[in-house]
Amino acid sequence: MISFEHVGKRYPGGIQALSDVNFSLKPGEMAFLTGHSGAGKSTLLKLIALLERPSRGQVMFDGRNVSRLARRHIPYLRRRIGVIFQDHRLLSDKRVFDNVALPLMIAGFSYGEIQRRVRAALDKVGLLDKERMYPPMLSGGEQQRVGIARAIITKPPMLLADEPTGNLDPEMSAELMNYFLQLNELGMTLLIASHDLDLIRRLNRRVLVLKKGEIVDDIPPRLMGEPA
Amino acid sequence: MSKSRGQGRLDALPGSAGLRAWARRHAYSFFSSLGSLTRQPLASAMTIVVLGVALTLPVALHVTLDNVQRLADGWERMDTLSVFLNQSVDDAGAMQLATRLASRGDIDTVDPISPDTGLAELSGQLALGELSEQIDDNPLPWVLEVDPMPTTNMPDLVAELEREDGVDLVIVDLAWLERLDAMVALLEQLVLLLAVLFAVGVAFIIANTIRMDIQNRREEIEVMALVGATAAFIRRPFLYSGLWYGLLGGALAWLLVRLGLLLLTAPVARLSGSYASQFQLYSPSVEVTALLILGAGLFGIVGSWLVVGQHLRIIGPSR
Repeated sequence: MISFEHVGKRYPGGIQALSDVNFSLKPGEMAFLTGHSGAGKSTLLKLIALLERPSRGQVMFDGRNVSRLARRHIPYLRRRIGVIFQDHRLLSDKRVFDNVALPLMIAGFSYGEIQRRVRAALDKVGLLDKERMYPPMLSGGEQQRVGIARAIITKPPMLLADEPTGNLDPEMSAELMNYFLQLNELGMTLLIASHDLDLIRRLNRRVLVLKKGEIVDDIPPRLMGEPA
Repeated sequence: MSKSRGQGRLDALPGSAGLRAWARRHAYSFFSSLGSLTRQPLASAMTIVVLGVALTLPVALHVTLDNVQRLADGWERMDTLSVFLNQSVDDAGAMQLATRLASRGDIDTVDPISPDTGLAELSGQLALGELSEQIDDNPLPWVLEVDPMPTTNMPDLVAELEREDGVDLVIVDLAWLERLDAMVALLEQLVLLLAVLFAVGVAFIIANTIRMDIQNRREEIEVMALVGATAAFIRRPFLYSGLWYGLLGGALAWLLVRLGLLLLTAPVARLSGSYASQFQLYSPSVEVTALLILGAGLFGIVGSWLVVGQHLRIIGPSR
């Protein structure tokens, strides 16, 4: 599904976020990306959804070299990748419903279909009663869940999450992770950046450890032979 | 190729395919642009007023010229000749000449004005009171007011009249009409020039408004791009906004011109009444109105196109 080959990313100003990243993720695989803050987790995720372009190396997604993807094809790539952002990236002047519906509006779904799907997604993240509220009226955890609902609304084959449990209490975090497992069982490929090591350990999935811009450890699941 | 295969799969998503999806996306842009117009009613209203006032100027000038031309067309039919006779011609001679001229085929009517009548009219017009009483010797000659047939060749007639016995001077005061025509033609060029200038102005006013709108909605644009909106999809609401600004500005200009004409109707009627004329102010034609409103809308789109493309490139998330 994804493969990184000698990928480096240097930001304008000389900050080397990634130096030499190599790994690959099979379709239907679920993996965690961990490492200290500043290790380059966010940058790595951004390169997949082409929020940034790599300075060198190749990022392959679904058999395509996304680092060379023409500008006009980028939107179609992004529609196939759901992204959960650390800072939520919600529109504060639009209701929760409209925030979650945005990807469907962009794809041109009918209003009935949008309504059905948005309700289902909001129900899934436990926010059905908040659909008419605006994001600033919600707690950090609730906003995070709105962002999750938006990321999965189009049922993308790939989901990237940047610290999805950062603002959630342990109970909610566990619930969310269970939801991620469900999505994975339905065939979705997931890459989740997190430094919640307890949670990662409990879920027992593949773990990529990023340090100073390189993958320094690639820990396979201990109990299960193959990821679901 | 894998690239096209990937897109094909995407387009095959239920609900995203075909004309209906296209129409839905357009509807979304349409309402989203109306929403952004009404979200900041004061700012939108100010922009529209600026556009309206700016567009009013060339249109008002055009309407004024149009009316002056219609008026001048009427005047050209009032081209009477004043035939001044020699002082030596007496009443009988004058009447005889008047009768003879009136029988000509190229002359419609002849109105002889005696020196006494002339003096009375003159003193009345100049408010000189009983001028005739103070002047012993009337210096005015007989004057024949000649009204030619509409088809008459004026220069020929003037030449023939001047050759008549007892005729001192023939005055055709058409020079000022020619000057008026020239002036109107000049002003018409000016209107055209102004229209072009103001159209460019409209495009830039709208471009600037849209630019601020884009900056205010930068976050929204970024998020839309993050979840897979195409450049066209992001651009569309702004193009619609430009169209609305243009159309509403044009409509406001039309309204202002109509209002101005309405306010001028009574004074113009009074003025034309005093000249025993039935002149009425003409409103801008349907063509001009359509050109104004649709043209402003078009320039609105052009203006927002100019700025949107450039700005989306700058704040676009892929670097």
